[in-house]
Amino acid sequence: MSKATFNRRKDKAFGYFGIFATVLGLILLALFIFQIFSDGIGRLDWDFMKALPSRKWEKAGILPAWTGTLWIFVLTALVVIPVGVGAGVYLEEYATKGRLSNLLEINISNLAGVPSIIYGIIGLQIFVRFMNLGGVLLAGAFTLSLLILPIIIVATREAIKAVPKSIKEASYGLGATKWQTIWNQILPMASANIITGVILALARAIGETAPLIVIGALAYVPFVAKSPMDEFTVLPMQIFNWVSRPQHGFLLNAAAAILILLLMVFVLNGIAVYLRNRSRKKFGL
Amino acid sequence: MSNNIKIETKNIHAWYGEKKVLHGIDLQMEENTVTAFIGPSGCGKSTFLRILNRMNDYIDSFRKEGNVLIDDKDIYKKKVRIEELRKEVGMVFQKPNPFPKSIYENVVYGLRIQGINKRAILDEAVEKTLKQAALWDEVKDDLKKNALGLSGGQQQRLCIARTLAVQPKIILMDEPASALDPISTAKVEELIYELKQDYTIVIVTHNMHQAGRVSDKTAFFLMGELIEYDKTKNIFTKPTDERTENYITGKFG
Amino acid sequence: MTNLEQELKEIKDTVLEMLKLVLNQLEKTGDAFLEFDEGLAEEVIHSEKRVNALELTIDKHCENIFALFNPVASDLRFVISMLKMNSDIERIGDYADGISDYVIDLEEPIDPVYLEKSRIVDMFDIAYNMLDMVIVSIESENTELPRQVFKKDRELNKINRASSNLIEKMVKEDHKNTSSALYLFSTIKKVERVGDHIKNIAEDWIFYLDGEILKHKKKKG
Repeated sequence: MSKATFNRRKDKAFGYFGIFATVLGLILLALFIFQIFSDGIGRLDWDFMKALPSRKWEKAGILPAWTGTLWIFVLTALVVIPVGVGAGVYLEEYATKGRLSNLLEINISNLAGVPSIIYGIIGLQIFVRFMNLGGVLLAGAFTLSLLILPIIIVATREAIKAVPKSIKEASYGLGATKWQTIWNQILPMASANIITGVILALARAIGETAPLIVIGALAYVPFVAKSPMDEFTVLPMQIFNWVSRPQHGFLLNAAAAILILLLMVFVLNGIAVYLRNRSRKKFGL
Repeated sequence: MSNNIKIETKNIHAWYGEKKVLHGIDLQMEENTVTAFIGPSGCGKSTFLRILNRMNDYIDSFRKEGNVLIDDKDIYKKKVRIEELRKEVGMVFQKPNPFPKSIYENVVYGLRIQGINKRAILDEAVEKTLKQAALWDEVKDDLKKNALGLSGGQQQRLCIARTLAVQPKIILMDEPASALDPISTAKVEELIYELKQDYTIVIVTHNMHQAGRVSDKTAFFLMGELIEYDKTKNIFTKPTDERTENYITGKFG
Repeated sequence: MTNLEQELKEIKDTVLEMLKLVLNQLEKTGDAFLEFDEGLAEEVIHSEKRVNALELTIDKHCENIFALFNPVASDLRFVISMLKMNSDIERIGDYADGISDYVIDLEEPIDPVYLEKSRIVDMFDIAYNMLDMVIVSIESENTELPRQVFKKDRELNKINRASSNLIEKMVKEDHKNTSSALYLFSTIKKVERVGDHIKNIAEDWIFYLDGEILKHKKKKG
């Protein structure tokens, strides 16, 4: 066969392979979701959402779990947004570029890859024991903040880097100070990408189990947390707990809880996508 | 009739890291004149222009020696506030760079950052400068329109209006028309000719015919050196340095 | 008005100034010659400096326009025609000056009979009219008038051709007339040349307006 024909066949073959790989992944995901859906949808009702966990599967509910997840979400956001975005802005705009800042940049990126359980151990030592907070919501929020801080710093820096240098020059050229330029031009243009990064990081955080187990979040919490200093549980933990029980009923409960968790994550991702599209239309970024 | 000296540089040397890019530039520019910097790519003319409003301060590897005096005052002294300097010395860039905001907000940005927010003052500034930039008639009906929706030539004129709103005395232009089509270029050149009466203008251009059309004096740069600086009509009819002659007649560059 | 338009207008203004000055020179030198007025002749000789100064100014100005603006199309034709006219106008001024020099040199006026027969009076009138028409058409951007100039120039040539015989007769009639005859002859030649230069100016103006080159062609009109 001629070289041209061979190349064309190779091209087509790759096309087919690509489709196959994509479809395979999607099919597996679809199967999984379908399975969960059929298992869990039966158990999803308001009673389930309002009930406390119990030894009897038909009475058990996820009230402490989803309120706990919500608490963790809010507290973590309150901590990590100012610290992470602030650090990102400082490192990108104020810190003098040199050997030290390059070192810092590499290390922060590396931190994002550290296994989450390590953060759990750090959180245990510092927040639970040293600061004597105990295994409470605040400690959990601080720990998860540490976990996703590198991600947010990197996202902030990338978002700021994406703002065209020409805009900065124009602003400086008109007599604006560094802060005025950041506040009036850079942050608005970078905000959508920063928020997207924050939301995605938080979406990951609410799915974390290992670090929270280490710092002492409980598996069986028959009450609703009412303050940041209360003990708590979260959806992933509840799911983990139910899945390890022998009764089949608890598996159905777990499936229902998974559905709620998936819903939260999908909603957060949806908001992120919407914001990113709006920014692209407005700023081209 | 000669005007007083508005900008003066004394023995300017400059480096990017180890690389020396300017060698001993002495230049004087009179008030209300248009001075053009010409020369082949990489000759240092843009670097030198940016020294005049300290835009090179943001480049970490940049270093300079020598003095830059505006109205007889050294602009690199420690106590000089850069924001004040930039209000006196405005800049228009090669690629139009309007902010992704409305036309109105673009023009008033320079005033807002000074704390001027009174509607009446801002409205007046917008109308005045857009008229000066020959853009008013084209946009007056929709000042809220996003500036990114304008054509390239209009965006550049908007950037000029934005610079004028701050009421500088000096306007630096770094190849202001090189990204524009011929008609927009002609409009910008006409604008420069008119602005000359009220402002001192320095323009870097890689198109020497443009220098011929708009400038009173021309400075020819080559490899970081100032080769020749004279009235434009002398540079173009009988340059004294052979290198200038070769550049002008297109033998290199 | 753009920078270039401003510059072109200035050149035209200067050229018109020079044309009007030279028209005045022509009139004065004609009167000086016909009436043997040495005072007028001195004025003409004195003003010649101004004519030359204007020529240099226009030359330099045109050179600058070429260098700075790279004019094309009608702008290019305009500057070229101004540049060429410039030297023709200067030559006319030069001839006027030359005729006034003769007036100073002549010890006594030329016999009016010969002035009459040679029709030098008519020549001065025709030349003056021609230049006046050209000035009007340049001011009004007209091409009709210049074409009429060609007709008049032919008349000047006719008179010039007839003058040789007359001068020969003048000398034969009385040898004392020789000096006057020579001066008269030279003056006739000079005025004929003035006519030629005015014709050149008209051709250059038509070149600018119509883009038509009329040089060395047989002309109607």
